Amino acid sequence: MMLDRETKPLPSDEIKFSLPEIEKFKLENELEVFFINKSKLPIIQLNLIVNAGSVFDANDKKGLSNLYSMTVDEGAGNYSSLELSDEFETLGTHFNVSSSEDHIYFSLQSLKENFERSLELLSMVIISPHLEEKDFLREQRKIITRLLQQQDEPDEIADLVFEYNVFGKSNPYAFPVIGYEDSVENISLEDIKKFHSSFIFPNNSALIVVGDITKDELQKSLNNYFKGWKSKTAVTEISFPQIPNKKNIFLVDKKGSVQSEIRIGHISTKRKDNDYFPKLILNTILGGQFTSRINLNLREKKGYTYGAHSRFNYLKDCANFYITTSVASENTANAVKEIFNELNEIRNGVTPDELEFAKSSLIRKFPSNFETYKQIASNLIGTVIHSLPEDYFNTYIENVSKITIEEVNSAAEKYILPNESIIVIVGSKEILNEQLSEIENVAVTEVDFRGDKVS
Amino acid sequence: MDLLNIEYEKYNLKNGLEVVLFRDSSLPLVASNIWYKVGSANERKGKTGIAHLFEHMMFQGSKNVPKEMHFKYIQEAGGSLNGSTSFDRTNYYEKVPSNFLELILWLESDRMGYFIPALTQEKLDNQISVVRNERLERYDNQPYGLAWELIISNLYQNGHPYSWPTIGFLQDITSYTIEDVTEFFKTYYSPSNACLVIAGDFDNSKTKELIEKYFGNISTDKKVNHLKNYRPYLNENVFLSREDNVQLERIYLTWHSEKAYGEYDAALDILSDILSGSKSSRLYKNLVFEKEVAQDVTAYQFSGKLSGFFTIIATAKPGVKLDLLKEEILKELNKLKSDGVTEKELIKSKNGIKSSFIYSMQNIDSLADQINSYNFFLNEPNSFNFDLKRFEEVENDKLKSTVEKYFSKPFVELQIIPQSGDEIKKANNL
Repeated sequence: MMLDRETKPLPSDEIKFSLPEIEKFKLENELEVFFINKSKLPIIQLNLIVNAGSVFDANDKKGLSNLYSMTVDEGAGNYSSLELSDEFETLGTHFNVSSSEDHIYFSLQSLKENFERSLELLSMVIISPHLEEKDFLREQRKIITRLLQQQDEPDEIADLVFEYNVFGKSNPYAFPVIGYEDSVENISLEDIKKFHSSFIFPNNSALIVVGDITKDELQKSLNNYFKGWKSKTAVTEISFPQIPNKKNIFLVDKKGSVQSEIRIGHISTKRKDNDYFPKLILNTILGGQFTSRINLNLREKKGYTYGAHSRFNYLKDCANFYITTSVASENTANAVKEIFNELNEIRNGVTPDELEFAKSSLIRKFPSNFETYKQIASNLIGTVIHSLPEDYFNTYIENVSKITIEEVNSAAEKYILPNESIIVIVGSKEILNEQLSEIENVAVTEVDFRGDKVS
Repeated sequence: MDLLNIEYEKYNLKNGLEVVLFRDSSLPLVASNIWYKVGSANERKGKTGIAHLFEHMMFQGSKNVPKEMHFKYIQEAGGSLNGSTSFDRTNYYEKVPSNFLELILWLESDRMGYFIPALTQEKLDNQISVVRNERLERYDNQPYGLAWELIISNLYQNGHPYSWPTIGFLQDITSYTIEDVTEFFKTYYSPSNACLVIAGDFDNSKTKELIEKYFGNISTDKKVNHLKNYRPYLNENVFLSREDNVQLERIYLTWHSEKAYGEYDAALDILSDILSGSKSSRLYKNLVFEKEVAQDVTAYQFSGKLSGFFTIIATAKPGVKLDLLKEEILKELNKLKSDGVTEKELIKSKNGIKSSFIYSMQNIDSLADQINSYNFFLNEPNSFNFDLKRFEEVENDKLKSTVEKYFSKPFVELQIIPQSGDEIKKANNL
């Protein structure tokens, strides 16, 4: 039989994929635990999420939650900073504390045989961190130097200036997690200690565990090591005022740049609000994948960039939509124009082929989101952060399948707003000035690295 | 360890294509991973970057696959894909739901056998532009982004295959013609110069049939240029100082070391961990934690098919002189040479490496790539235990002799310092 190379082979029988079962329970101290048993390898992944991100930082102490996350594991229980790190390393356990806009994360990846001991060490960090002056000052100085280095990174500057202007100064999401030089210098060890007692408690947290352990064993160990950790009155609510965005170019002059970093976008509706699935499909068509419209145009057709992508970025209490790319300086205005062409064009609707393609891609990709221990944990984290329904994963495929072209097209009109998009460009002003003046009907405001107008 | 002992099947097609099959049906996923034994080391001076540019061209379609459709077919199947180029090899990989195995075999075989008929000037011009932007984004517009090409071009003698960067120099990248690309394909992209690994959930005999069906009739009528094995040398210390658009000074110290899986390779890896792998590692503890003269410090061993190098990089805190960092770094190396390491340091390092072997078994696609790597370097796909044992066998004496052997030799020192004055020079003038 001659081999027919011209025809694309069809898939063989449909695959069978069963979702791992999520178990939920509460510890005696009220800590909520979400657990999945996975015993393929002798590995346990654990993430403690605490509702304590940078949105809670006071105006004059921006960067507090981040500095806390860097200080809290500098010595705990019976161990100094270096001893504690040695203990984890000797177990071959990856331990890490990090911070984001909404949360502090304590993460562990350990071998089954070392899980008990790793958990014990983690409980020391959470219940009895040393929080000593010399460690605090060293970490503070590290951040101050890091802030200096930030000025070298065009992509970081672009992200910061975009967030600052898209949310606006009265919204806590406008500010960088790492803070500013003056605000970080203004933080004292007392602030760090106060942060620990005001935020780090069980009923302000959730625990995600995925791994080679039974529910009973896990529950027993957790109750054992975390019994000294007590619940408190919940954290006070904060508000997230939003202002509508106005089309405007925010230009950051970074001398010597041979490229421009570009961000274009606007605020959007929250993860929990309606239309998540139409927006997901819409973005898959517009800029979520390599073969999406924006990348195919800017990269594969025009050759302006190594890559261009769009996303709906869902924070806990707000969201935005943006396109990100970087292009050679001389193509900056052309790239901006092409992006706006794409934003306008998608509002005219998507094709049935595009819809089928996006659905097929999302549905068939689903099993591969459950491969590593970390991936499974991060899926669980997503459902916890956004309070998604318990059957979220069980209904995912059905929810993607049932979206109609009308729903996607109406989402395009509702959630892609070229006339309310801000444009952030980080590049060489000297090269860009003339090009940018050619973009019609948009004012150019020069801003500094924070995003404030240069007077 | 049983966990690291994998069962596989390895065989050759008549045209010379090597095939390795590894079954793991824990999830309904299958990965394809193909290594072509060609990288930037096969290029020559004045013609750099073509191996990487060629990798881009392989995604531009083939006789039966229109432009963009290579990506589209795989993404439509819910798969992921990419490729990468190093000094020694170029790889292409996909991961799809297991019922789409035939699709990726069709796609991979079509570009292995029928790439030339679909090659056009327009596609080449487009990808030259894309790679030019990749170079700008990843190197020219990155702080310290040009350090590497400066180091390797001074560490290796003129003409050594590792003396230019994989991405290539801009004037070379923009010079390539259809003839260059065609010639490159004919020289290196023969089935006999590649190894295909299929890993995951599949039926053994059916998969073998499919591989024969799609790859079996691709002809091998090409000869491969084998690399001349240059012996790298450096006769004396080289000192380089360059200005860049950065806030902080940074020092790079680089020595010739050991090639991949050579006698001292594992010891050098352990050494890098003991120097900078954790908070209490020697250099981190001294420079970053205690003295606070550096913002960060990294030591690592790079090892390739032809040779290896060992690098230590430290970024100075504002106001700190790089000479001080250099002095401290050399002092630590001397201490290691005379006193060796403690038992505790060695155990810590080995435990970390052992765990990382197990952690790395989680992804079917990274497993497939590791299997290909073992096959490439050791001609044995099932080398996880062998590899781990290399580390477990390193003892204090070995570490001492490693330091003695490599760090008494000349090195390349690069200092990157912030630009002076008002006039910012183009990063290209580094």
